[in-house]
Amino acid sequence: MLKRIMQEKLTPKNTALFLIILLFPLLTFGLDAIAKILFSKYAIPLPVSGGALLRIAVLVWLSILLSIGLNIVCGFTGLLDLGYVGFYLVGGYTAGLLMTRLGLSYWFVLPLATLNGALWGLLRGAPTLRLTGDYFAIVTFGFAELLFRVVKNEEWLLPEGRVNGQINDVPPPTLFGIELYQMWHHYYHILILVGLVTFVTYRLLHSRVGRAWVAIREDEQAAESMGINVSRYKSLAFAVSAAIGALAGAFFAPFQVSFDAGAFEFWQSILILCMVVLGGMGSIKGAIIGGAVLGSLGEVLRSILPYFLADARYLIFGIILVLLMRFRPGGLIYKKT
Amino acid sequence: MGSELLEQIINGLVQGGIYALIAVGYTMVYGIIQLINFAHGEIFMLGAYFALILVTFLSLPFWLAIPISMILCAGIGMLMDVIAYRPLRNAPRLSALITAIGLSIGMQNLARMIWTARQRTFPRESLPSIFLGENALLLPGGASLPYRDVVIILLAVLLMVGLNLLVHFTKTGKAMRACAQDKVASNLMGIKTNQVIVVTFAIGSALGAIAGIMVGLREVIEPTMGYYKGVAAFAAAVLGGIGSITGAILGGVLIGLAETLGAGYISSGYRIAIAYIIMIIVILIRPSGIIGKSTASRA
Repeated sequence: MLKRIMQEKLTPKNTALFLIILLFPLLTFGLDAIAKILFSKYAIPLPVSGGALLRIAVLVWLSILLSIGLNIVCGFTGLLDLGYVGFYLVGGYTAGLLMTRLGLSYWFVLPLATLNGALWGLLRGAPTLRLTGDYFAIVTFGFAELLFRVVKNEEWLLPEGRVNGQINDVPPPTLFGIELYQMWHHYYHILILVGLVTFVTYRLLHSRVGRAWVAIREDEQAAESMGINVSRYKSLAFAVSAAIGALAGAFFAPFQVSFDAGAFEFWQSILILCMVVLGGMGSIKGAIIGGAVLGSLGEVLRSILPYFLADARYLIFGIILVLLMRFRPGGLIYKKT
Repeated sequence: MGSELLEQIINGLVQGGIYALIAVGYTMVYGIIQLINFAHGEIFMLGAYFALILVTFLSLPFWLAIPISMILCAGIGMLMDVIAYRPLRNAPRLSALITAIGLSIGMQNLARMIWTARQRTFPRESLPSIFLGENALLLPGGASLPYRDVVIILLAVLLMVGLNLLVHFTKTGKAMRACAQDKVASNLMGIKTNQVIVVTFAIGSALGAIAGIMVGLREVIEPTMGYYKGVAAFAAAVLGGIGSITGAILGGVLIGLAETLGAGYISSGYRIAIAYIIMIIVILIRPSGIIGKSTASRA
C-alpha cells in the first residue's frame, strides 16, 4: 500500500492535502494568532477560534474512524447494521470505567476495549449469522438499544451517586510522563489511529478475507458453494467492525473527559450509516470521504446554528439519506463493479 | 395487591390495543411490499400533534379532530409512498429501508423544530368529560378503570373488526390479499398494484393517527413518541407474525401486557427494553412469529 501511495499519488494536489492534514494543528494556531491581531484591533468577537476548529477536526476524524468500521459490515458483507453505536458504547464504557474506577493506564485499556468490542461483535454475530436483510437490521438495532438501556439503568456500574450512565473526569493518557490532554495531542493521536485502521482495513479488503466478504455480499449461496466458509468470514467481519467501533469509543472516553449515556443514542448509528451510504458502501475511500463530509457538516452546523435549530442537523441528514437513495443509490464515490 | 394486579392487566390491555392499531400499519405494508416502514411511527406521532393543533388553535370539538387528523395522516402516508417508496420499488431492499430510516429521522426532527421537545397534553377544557382521567369506574376489589380506557378499548376493537371486514369482504381487501400473495401475478390479473399499495398506506396511517391520539389522551405528546411506541408496535407485529393482521392484534396485546407487567414488577427503567428483548428472541427462535406461516428463508 505504501508503495502504491509513493508511486501513484505524489501529485501536488495530494501532497498539499497530506501536508494540510498533517500540519492542521499548526494551521489553526496560526489562524488564532492572525485572528487575534486582526480582530482584537477592532474589538470584533472571533467567529470561530482555532481551538474550536481543531476540536471539530478531531471529531471529524472520529467520524471517519467509525465510518470505516461500519463500512466493513455494511459495505463489504452487505448487511445493514443499525446498531453500530453499540460497539462505540462498549469501547467508551470499557475505557471510561476501567480508567476511572480501576485507574488502569490508557495504553493498557485501549487494546482491552478493542478486544472487548470484538467479543461483543462475535456475541451479537453468532445468533444472527442466518439472518439477512430486515431481520438482521432489526436485531442489531435492538441490541444497541439494550446496551444503551443497560448503561443508563445499571447504576452499580458507575461511581457512587452517578445516574444516567454518567462518567466524569476520565484521566488523559500519558506518554513518557507527559499528559496528552491538549487538543493537538488528541489530533495526532486520532490521526495515528485512523491511519492504522485504514491500513489494516485496506490490507484485509485486498486479501483472501476481503475477497470472501465481497463474494458473500454479491451472492451468499454461490460463495458458499465455491467453498467459502460463510459463517466464519461473516463472524470475522462482525468482530473487526465491532473492534474498530470500540477502538473509537476508547479514544472518545479520555477525549471527552466526561460523558453520559446520551452520547450513544440510536441516532448516532444512523449518522454513521449516513456517512457510509453517502460515500458509497463498500469502498474505503468512500467511507473516509463520507465521514469527512458529514462529520464536518454536522459539527459546523452544530456550532453555527443557534440552539433551537440544532435539530435541523438531523433533518438535513434524513433528507440526504432519502435523496441519495432516490438519485444516487451507489453513493458519491460510485464504484463500478 | 389483587387490585393492583388487575389495574396493571387492564393497563396492559389498553396499551396492547393501541400497539395493535400501530402494528397493523407495519404489518400490512410489510405484507405487500416487504418493507419495514420505519416512518410509520412518525405518522403516529403526527396524528397526535394534528389533533392537538385542531383542538387548540382551531378550537374544533375533539370528536371532529379525530377523523380530520386521520385523514391528514392518511394523506401523508400516501404521499410518502408515492414520493419516496414508489421510485424504489425495483431497487435493492436495502435502499428502501434506508429511505424509510431517513424519512423517520427527518420527520421526527422536523416535528421537534416545529413543536419543540416539550411534552404536551390535550388541554382539559378541550376534552369531553368522559376522557378525563379521574372519571373512572370502580371495580370490585378497589381497582379503578377510567372510562377513557373503556372507550379506547372499544374503539380499538371496533376498528380492528372493521379492518378485518374490509380485508376479507370487499373488493379492495381482496386486491390487497392478492398483492400480498404475488404482486406480479395480481398485476397480470388487472389489479392496479400501485393503487392498492397507496390504499394500504392510507389505511395503516389513519389507524396510526388514531392510536397517536389515544396515546396523547393517556400519556404525553412529544416528538420522540413515534420512535419509542413505533418500535414496541413493530415488535408486536414481529411477535404476531409479520404480514398477518390477526397476528398484529395478538402481538400488540401480548407486548402491551408484558410491558406494563414488566415495568410494574421488574424495573421501570427497562420498560421499553422488554419489547426489544421479546422481539429479538422471536426473530432468533421463530422469525415467522406466532401466526405467520414459516418460510424457508429468514429474509
